[in-house]
Amino acid sequence: MPFTGDHRIDFDRFGQLIDFHLRHGADALALPMHAAESVSLSEDEKRGVLAFAIERVRGRVPMIAHVSNAGTAIAAQLARDAQAAGAAAVVATTPYYWTPPQTMLLEHFVQIGAAVDLPLFVDNAPEEMAGTKVTTELVLKLIAELPNFAGVVDLSLDWQFMIELMTEAPRRRPDFQLLSGTEHMVSAGAIGATGMFSSLAAIAPRLVRRLYELCREQKFFAARPVQEAVAALRQVSKSRGPAGLKAALRIMGRDCGEPRPPLLPLDGSPYEKLAAELAALPALRDEPRGW
Amino acid sequence: MQSPVTPLKDDFSLDLATFERVLDFHVRTGATAISWPHHKGESLNLTIAERKLFAEAAVKVVAKRIPVTIHVSALAVEDTMELARHAQKIGANGILAITPYFWNPSLEAIDAYFTHLCRSIDLPVLSYNSPSYLAGVEITGELMSRLIQRLPNFVGVKEASFNSEKFLEIARAALALRADFAMLTGVEFLLPSVPLGGVGSYSAAGSICPNLCTQLFDACTAGEWARARALQYKMARLWLLFRDQYPSSLKGGMVIMGRPVGPTRPPLPTASKERQAYIHKELEALGILDTEPHGW
Repeated sequence: MPFTGDHRIDFDRFGQLIDFHLRHGADALALPMHAAESVSLSEDEKRGVLAFAIERVRGRVPMIAHVSNAGTAIAAQLARDAQAAGAAAVVATTPYYWTPPQTMLLEHFVQIGAAVDLPLFVDNAPEEMAGTKVTTELVLKLIAELPNFAGVVDLSLDWQFMIELMTEAPRRRPDFQLLSGTEHMVSAGAIGATGMFSSLAAIAPRLVRRLYELCREQKFFAARPVQEAVAALRQVSKSRGPAGLKAALRIMGRDCGEPRPPLLPLDGSPYEKLAAELAALPALRDEPRGW
Repeated sequence: MQSPVTPLKDDFSLDLATFERVLDFHVRTGATAISWPHHKGESLNLTIAERKLFAEAAVKVVAKRIPVTIHVSALAVEDTMELARHAQKIGANGILAITPYFWNPSLEAIDAYFTHLCRSIDLPVLSYNSPSYLAGVEITGELMSRLIQRLPNFVGVKEASFNSEKFLEIARAALALRADFAMLTGVEFLLPSVPLGGVGSYSAAGSICPNLCTQLFDACTAGEWARARALQYKMARLWLLFRDQYPSSLKGGMVIMGRPVGPTRPPLPTASKERQAYIHKELEALGILDTEPHGW
């Protein structure tokens, strides 16, 4: 999420960023995700960001609204608001902070899903969510309880989970979808994932798009070198979080400001180090600079 | 590649005659290599003397028809070294060794361990990376690079994190230095690993369904992804059946397939009659009873 120097949302830049993604082939937008510092936005800001994006996109691609929250009722309300604003689907992680058992997770997701008629996608992101996992068993219960439960966005990268999920879930709901929540799409795609959420597309849209297309065409052997290049980029950016993403965007000529507190900006020698690491990635040479 | 179970008599002593039958069964039904004793072979519940005895039997029975590697991981590193030297002495084709158990070794300690192991023998050494079973202890891509550069007989890894990012991190590091470094995985997770540079897998359910193993391997390496997916999903249902009380349920399943191999040593349980009946029902539902060999 682009911010001004005094940490307000920079809607001009945000509009520019949306246009950039559409120009480079995004099939859908999902926002505001963690990479967009969703957790640092107020509820009103989240609604404002979504409304702005839907207005800007004007139906050219579907909009997936990210409605994660710690409180179930707050998340359900965000989902309702997203539907009213014209979102095409909603996506939610396991609740923040609480360390919920699977029964609590079921209740959380059922209430969010029941609040809307839109497809609900659920994130499985144990690394980001302090170890809380979405299990196959939970998914099967969600299929039984929610007609609009559409699929899982996987950030676990866990083969065992994904294979088990795709062995069991589509037998109950044939149009169940596994989506890759990161740019590690080759294994997920071989297992049956049909889509990918990408934050790195802001840095390297051509590379990410090429990877996605090869995976969609089931050309997994041809996708391997592209996946390796994406993995190299991911390795450079991952540990630095949204601050690193923003620093990388500045290096690519698409300045989106600094992250909001509590995240600290990447500057000084860490910034120089990131710049050097990005410069050493051959795959970035063909990527667009500036807007 | 198949890693045989360890047949036991009712008093839990080793059953050599049945072990010979298991080995021969795997060779005849399409195994590309034999590796023994994996955790599934109850390695840690066998004495070092027992492990040597059966290692000798494995080399003798397989008789160079396919390669035999010996899994030498033991709680004490001294025992591991002893098993490695023994494997070389008896004519095994290589060894497999996991990162050390229990102590949560640092990367430096893992480095020293594999360096010592590789320099103790002339055989090819396969490493074994299994962070989810070893409290997060793992070989990083960077450590893999160092080991490959230093040790000519460090030839591959059983990468059992079962995680896209970790597998690719190691594959990228290793294959850049040595194109024929063997990126292997476990269970039968070929569908997600082959596209990332994987060349094979050890098998969990091979003593039940060798035909399915071969079909899955062929589909993945030929890039027939729709077929590979269907086969991998079928294999996953078997893994769900057997990973519970592994390898007890596997031994229970072998009874159903007409290849009984006896009980499982404590603390692992032995599959009860009820459990066997459940396994029978599941194998029947999956069509395994009609498509896989019965008896030896």
